Amino acid sequence: MKKNWVSAFLLTLSVALTACGGGGQSTTQPTDKPAEPAKEAAAPAAPARENVLIVAADQDPVGLDPHKIPAASSARIYGLIYDGLTKMDPEFNVIPNLATKWEFSEDGKTLTFHLQPGVKFHNGREMTSEDVKYSFERILNPDTGSTVKSFFASIEAIETPDANTVVFKLTNPDSAIVANTSSAQVAIVPKEVADLNTEAVGTGPFMMEKMESGQYVQLKKNPNYFKDGLPKADGIKFTIMKDEAQRTAAIRSGKIDIASVNADTAMLLEKTPALKIESYQSAEYGYLGINTAKKPFDNPKVRQAISYAVNRDEIVQTVWKGQAELTGPISPAQKSWAVDTSSFASYKHDVAKAKELLKEAGLADGFKTTLYTASTYPDMIESAQVIQQQLKAIGIDAQINQLEWAAYIEMWKSKDTDLLVGRNTSGTDPDRSMRFFFSTTGSANVWNYSNPAYDEIVQKALETTDPAGRKELYNQAQQMLVEDAPNLFLASPKNFYAVSEQVDGFVPTAAGEAFAIVRASIK
Amino acid sequence: MGRYILKRLMTLIPIIIGISILVFMILHLVPGDPASIMLGTNATPEAIEALNRSMGLDRPLIVQYLTWASGLVQGDFGVSIHSGEPILPAIWNRFLVTFQLTILAALIGWSIAIPVGILSAVKAHSAVDVAGRVVAMLGISVPNFAIGTLMLLGLSLYFGWYPPIDYVHFWQDPVEAFKIFILPSITMGIVLAAGIMRMTRSAFLETLDKEFIRTARAKGNGEWTVIIGHALRNSTIPVVTIAGMQIGYLLGGAVIVEQLFSVPGLGQYILDGIHQRDYPIVQGGVLFIALIFVLVNLFVDVIYTWIDPRIKY
Repeated sequence: MKKNWVSAFLLTLSVALTACGGGGQSTTQPTDKPAEPAKEAAAPAAPARENVLIVAADQDPVGLDPHKIPAASSARIYGLIYDGLTKMDPEFNVIPNLATKWEFSEDGKTLTFHLQPGVKFHNGREMTSEDVKYSFERILNPDTGSTVKSFFASIEAIETPDANTVVFKLTNPDSAIVANTSSAQVAIVPKEVADLNTEAVGTGPFMMEKMESGQYVQLKKNPNYFKDGLPKADGIKFTIMKDEAQRTAAIRSGKIDIASVNADTAMLLEKTPALKIESYQSAEYGYLGINTAKKPFDNPKVRQAISYAVNRDEIVQTVWKGQAELTGPISPAQKSWAVDTSSFASYKHDVAKAKELLKEAGLADGFKTTLYTASTYPDMIESAQVIQQQLKAIGIDAQINQLEWAAYIEMWKSKDTDLLVGRNTSGTDPDRSMRFFFSTTGSANVWNYSNPAYDEIVQKALETTDPAGRKELYNQAQQMLVEDAPNLFLASPKNFYAVSEQVDGFVPTAAGEAFAIVRASIK
Repeated sequence: MGRYILKRLMTLIPIIIGISILVFMILHLVPGDPASIMLGTNATPEAIEALNRSMGLDRPLIVQYLTWASGLVQGDFGVSIHSGEPILPAIWNRFLVTFQLTILAALIGWSIAIPVGILSAVKAHSAVDVAGRVVAMLGISVPNFAIGTLMLLGLSLYFGWYPPIDYVHFWQDPVEAFKIFILPSITMGIVLAAGIMRMTRSAFLETLDKEFIRTARAKGNGEWTVIIGHALRNSTIPVVTIAGMQIGYLLGGAVIVEQLFSVPGLGQYILDGIHQRDYPIVQGGVLFIALIFVLVNLFVDVIYTWIDPRIKY
């Protein structure tokens, strides 16, 4: 009798154990070399493999209306379904897309786009200048609630002299406008589709095939895509994998082809056979925001003291494991627009200088303050912790307050923060990094920063069409920002992708994921 | 009995009204609104306002509540404010997933826990008992995300194995579904097993001390006849109570495990809803869970009468 019980227990246990072991054997070959699992696992699938890329997505898309939803989880999908008038190349140059060319009038107040003829929407209808007009009017309509509306504030009227020409009449010369049309959110949509969340009809390289919330989004190749030879793959399947450990396990066992991973995982996977790690300099950067209206931060000396006290190299090493670049107000991914950070005096870590500045501000004994950050992002929390320690060295006692994302956004937009650690994306044109975030009336200037001289320079830069002149103005403005320190620009991280060896041609760059995916296929 | 069940079902009405008000208020009182979250740090005040207006969130709270509640009465849970997807079918689909996961986890957990618990009680203070209790303690103490992560990473590293990434239900393809569910089920099963095992052991110890057991032994019954025939049924009630609570709890979605293994279940659906302040999803989801919890408890109460005929309602 006793034996029966024991064997019953062992039986249950073995059922549970063989269940997972047995499952494993049915999908992979038995391995005798545990060190090379992925290679062996991938081998049997190779011959009959469809040319469909399986990409891990860390979030469900929250909707697919490009004009309304800026979320990255949505943009990476609608960025493949829709096209814009222009596009960014990996060198951050604006290149033609639906528009083959464009020109400004002599006074810079008329911008004419010439459209690629014969481009068809996924529903078979030919795209015309009317659709372009409709799309921009939809973005500019306040009821749409588009975040890119402010990109096109200078548009006064849109004219369509013929089916392939669109003319923008501007209130003032606007040299950022062309680059801004390259954003995935500035998609050209067909005017007959009423609800773009439920019906995704673009002109892009891929078409919506199937979508199951919480599971996957499947796209298929657009056979009528207007660019010859693209896309290279027959389809893309975004499979939702929310956990980094899960994505790591899945790519290691060959179940997925492409996964964006963090620096830690990238290093972990570096030596895995059958995988390669691709990285590129992102256009994102971490910052420490300072409320310039609140005491004692209203004194520029206090802000400068903080800038000298913060050791940016330490943040690069601890938070980003060395996989990040120092950055100014414009991130290094934007190439020639960015200023060499060695030209910024306050970027040299100097505790003595910081203390001296605090003393000059009448705060020799330091002070207490709060440092807000979002609990959702480990890099922000770590940055906050490093900064907390560094500020302690000059007597500033900063309490970290981690907020849930929604509460964090609330704090961010309240304009009533003290110190706040966050992350920004530079966007498509330097105008965004400069005017959007820091001009007195800038939509995202939540720092109460107001400097008329700065406002004048960035407005002038916007209206200057000569690139060299523009660059000079932005250099001045960047120096000004670093000196005034309404934000401390910390570091711009690299982004990493783990890519299966079965994938050909996937080269991620700051031009964006879509640019790389369109050129990738299964070997 | 029928009247009792009906009475219990009637109590659902005030419970649901109460929960609906509570969830609605809590959600609308916490900081953050859907528009701000959708727009993030790219937002402009007018864009936030326009978006909130287009979602009907600029109306007075009481109007929003009544609109939502009047829909509920007609069985309309509304649509997601982000994707426009109807909520009730989505909840139901997610629930089916969670349901299968729960059942498999319970089968795995209990089929280990009950025999071990009985054995522990019968052989109290023996090596088997001590080993069983140590394992149960571990099962309770080690967080399930740690167990799950270790299994995922270990299997992929040493065996190159990863569960299928395309979700199927058991009735579509039992073998594939089993492969999908096995890791999360074991992860959850271990925690379930620990609780049930401890409860089984203590309930059995108590029963074995009772006089009717002595009588049964005195009549010359074999030890295992006494245990299975007499002690088992009399020890079941506390175990069923705990089991019922576990099931009720799991059917509400095991958020961490679902997140870790990307199981498209109810817990994850509601969690996403909370993060995005997708009010209708959270409101509908929590109501649904409350309903399930009450029904499972009712079911457990009915089972009592079957286990112990002396119990009458």
